[in-house]
Amino acid sequence: MVTVEGLISWVLRAGVLTGAALASVGYFASSEVAWIGVLALILTPFLRVMMAGIYFLMKRDLAYFGLAAYVIMMLVIGSFLHMI
Amino acid sequence: MLGLEQHLVALAILLFGVFAGSLGAMLGLGGGVLMIIFLLLALNIPAHQAVALSLIAVIASSSTAGSVYIKDRMTNLRLAMVLEAFTVTGAVLGAFLALSLPVSAIQAMLGCVLFYTSATMLKGRRSGEPGCEGEGALRGEFYDEQACATVKYGVKNLKLGVAASLVAGAVSGMVGIGGGVIKVPIMNIVMKIPIKAAAATSNFMVGVTAAASAAVYFQGGLVDVQLAAPTVLGIMVGAYVGTRLLAKSRSEVLRRILATVLAFFGVVLLLKAGGVLAW
Repeated sequence: MVTVEGLISWVLRAGVLTGAALASVGYFASSEVAWIGVLALILTPFLRVMMAGIYFLMKRDLAYFGLAAYVIMMLVIGSFLHMI
Repeated sequence: MLGLEQHLVALAILLFGVFAGSLGAMLGLGGGVLMIIFLLLALNIPAHQAVALSLIAVIASSSTAGSVYIKDRMTNLRLAMVLEAFTVTGAVLGAFLALSLPVSAIQAMLGCVLFYTSATMLKGRRSGEPGCEGEGALRGEFYDEQACATVKYGVKNLKLGVAASLVAGAVSGMVGIGGGVIKVPIMNIVMKIPIKAAAATSNFMVGVTAAASAAVYFQGGLVDVQLAAPTVLGIMVGAYVGTRLLAKSRSEVLRRILATVLAFFGVVLLLKAGGVLAW
């Protein structure tokens, strides 16, 4: 059975392995590839909060869905305005 | 092409990453500060690059360990979301406050708080034991491999916990230390959450906060992408080992290791306040 926990776990592992693989290839080949790897890695935590948000939405837990949305919004604003 | 010296630096980062990643994942702190200190002092890497690489390290450690902790249901997702909401709010407020506050005084103060917290952790043997009462919606349970038992716990003193998360978010930007150092002891001592669940829950949060900061460094082109590879590889292996160490260790042992690390961070913060260390 596919659980949301299992799915988040899979996304995290896929994200970090993709980042590690691209960064390693980039180390020997070109820094552009490494750059994409680092970007993939940095996006993984954002994705994790989004998936947690979807998890709460599926459980009709709207308060926690709102919290997850708020966290993502603050992260995006904060990182664009260079505040965090 | 890369020279021999660069390969040796990469190898050193990889090896130290295994250590920082395992300690970071085991205690829920991320391991960023250890990475910064190593990059600064042992490898003479410039401060802003050291911070950028350490953020990459925290993300890698948190994602690797998180994939294990979430699957094993060690992470309290609801609690993580509540505390993280206050942490990011604190981080944004802190960015405004930092302009008008004497940073070295805050570093010295937090350093002293960490000594006190470390002593409390070593002394209060019973304080970290789980209690079943507490916030209904936030209660959690997990299987403790070492104790061969399912541990159920409630969350106490939620108001104090969210206040501490707000402060953790605000000061971590100013003092250059991740919020996990404040949040794990608060969750364990004040909110009475078992150390293993506290570490796993903090682990979820540190990666999120680090990603927001890392995005800023990345946009500014400050991430040395060549050194990212050994950082991520070393941390990944270490963080995986860290999750096993957490599962197999007695809670009391974890608390003692955490207390030691907190005292060490207390020293680091006092050195920063005195201007001996800078990043």
